[in-house]
Amino acid sequence: MRATPAWLRVAAGLGAFAVVAFIGLALVGSRDPQAALDGFGLVMVAAIPAGVAIYALVEYRQTGRLDSITRQFGTRTLVLMPVAIALDIVLGSAVASALKIPVYLDSLGTVLVAVLAGPLAGAATGFLSNLLWTYLAPAPFASPYAAPFAVVAVVVGLLAGTFARWGWLRPRPGTSGRRLLVGGGLAVAAMALMALVALRVWLAGAEGGDLAPSADETAFTILGWVAMLLVAGTGLGLLVLLLRQRDLAAAYILAAGVITGVSAAFVAAPIAAGLFGGVTGSGADFVIAALRQAGADLQQAVLGQSLISDPVDKVVTYFLVYLILGAMATRTKARFPQGPHLVPLTDEKVDDAPGVRED
Amino acid sequence: MTRPVFARTESTAASRWHGLDPLTRLVVALGTMIAALLLGGVVCLAALGILAVLLPTAMAHELRPVLRLAVLLALPLGVSAVLINVLFSPGTTSEGAWLAAVVVLRIVIMAGATVLFYRTTIPADLVGSLQHHGLSNRITFVIHNAVAMIPRLAERAREVTAAQRARGFDSEAGLLRRGRGIIALAAPTVLGAVAEVEARTLALETRAFTRPGRVTVLRPPHDSNLQRAGRWSIVVGLVALVIARVTGLLPC
Repeated sequence: MRATPAWLRVAAGLGAFAVVAFIGLALVGSRDPQAALDGFGLVMVAAIPAGVAIYALVEYRQTGRLDSITRQFGTRTLVLMPVAIALDIVLGSAVASALKIPVYLDSLGTVLVAVLAGPLAGAATGFLSNLLWTYLAPAPFASPYAAPFAVVAVVVGLLAGTFARWGWLRPRPGTSGRRLLVGGGLAVAAMALMALVALRVWLAGAEGGDLAPSADETAFTILGWVAMLLVAGTGLGLLVLLLRQRDLAAAYILAAGVITGVSAAFVAAPIAAGLFGGVTGSGADFVIAALRQAGADLQQAVLGQSLISDPVDKVVTYFLVYLILGAMATRTKARFPQGPHLVPLTDEKVDDAPGVRED
Repeated sequence: MTRPVFARTESTAASRWHGLDPLTRLVVALGTMIAALLLGGVVCLAALGILAVLLPTAMAHELRPVLRLAVLLALPLGVSAVLINVLFSPGTTSEGAWLAAVVVLRIVIMAGATVLFYRTTIPADLVGSLQHHGLSNRITFVIHNAVAMIPRLAERAREVTAAQRARGFDSEAGLLRRGRGIIALAAPTVLGAVAEVEARTLALETRAFTRPGRVTVLRPPHDSNLQRAGRWSIVVGLVALVIARVTGLLPC
């Protein structure tokens, strides 16, 4: 049977996504970048299905089947999905109500399915999680406000599945010093970039004034800085792991978490600001209040909060998923569609394994 | 004995609302939520609330419990909305108050629509209806099992929390300890649930879960032409609302 190039359908899907996103952004904010940012979530609602549809269409034209999609939804995945949805809802509710810190932990199941089964399975899990959380979750877990954020969960699922397919969650213990240095450097650079974006948003919110809120609002000043410290603390914790266990996967986890978090923030912030006036009912509301008090308008405050909270949340989530994967038997992982991308490489497989070039 | 406010109402209850196909009730709830997100002004939102939440709630004889639960659910977010937009707003207080009023109204409508649907629909009935209307067996399996899994997982989480507290975990401690507590709580809960997946997969495969073809729905829903027309009207209305919003023709 003739081999069909997978890159072609991936490129077609990404192309369709880019075209629809470009047209959508041009329609919602042709002259005003702020309007374009506000409509980002809405544009994603159209662009993501368009990308997936074109991907499926090209694959069907190439092979007459949809193997790369249907393979992600085997019996094992279908059994894992309800567990993952329940995890998203139960842990998300528990963290929001019990811990009251600017972290959500409501996408652990989504990332777990995405990593084990694939991007589309992860996207479907995230989408269903948010819908069921609103409409069918039993009390006291029901939340009427989760459904509008379903598109955010879809983005998280797609990205997590893609990163896992690239081998980013593969354990790499005992990595050589040079690779560790490069990985650590890239991880620090990613953290610095995220901090820079957050800083710019905050400075824009403060209209070029002093970054630190005035001493009169001590409680909110502290809460704002606690969120910033959480970002730095998580990064430092992973770097310690990186150096002590010499596991380069820590750098990949950090990068995956930051990229997923920043992407999720750009999709979620306009939804939270436009539909709910910036409130989410979680500990993140305090950060928004602090940014508002510092002078930021609502959109800037919500985006700033999302850029601070979401990367932390996603780094923690990826880290937990990595721990779960480490606790699972290798043969159990290997039975899932993306299992081969999650087990450590033997020496003879290193050269041609997925994700090895990123080392 | 008083009935708990969170309890679902039996689908056999004698009201015209309960007699509707669960899919119709889902479309009304989803449609109300989307319309609440698209509409902006207080007047339009109030009209939507009366039409899409209060009237059906009265029809279902659920006015008191639904309103009570909707307000309970909306209260935390409503308070946050008022605090953020009025007390911590750098703009004028009236602007912040107006925005807060819109947000609070929207939250109450969304909560009301969700609570009405939740209280009057049994998940098994909805899944049966979705299956009857052609939804894939695999998706219905995921929905049904996810809903059933939530209380089981919550029970497991409670057991893990109690066990960790017995080992010294303090959920009221400082930020750092609470942050570390995430791992102590989540890991055993998740690992236990994931460990069951393998056994359940084998059990399903031995019962021909992946067999192609439609399954027989044991409790077919009470659908009708009028309900079908109503559902399509809601869909068409929402499309019109989206177009009006994008083109700027919507008055509020």
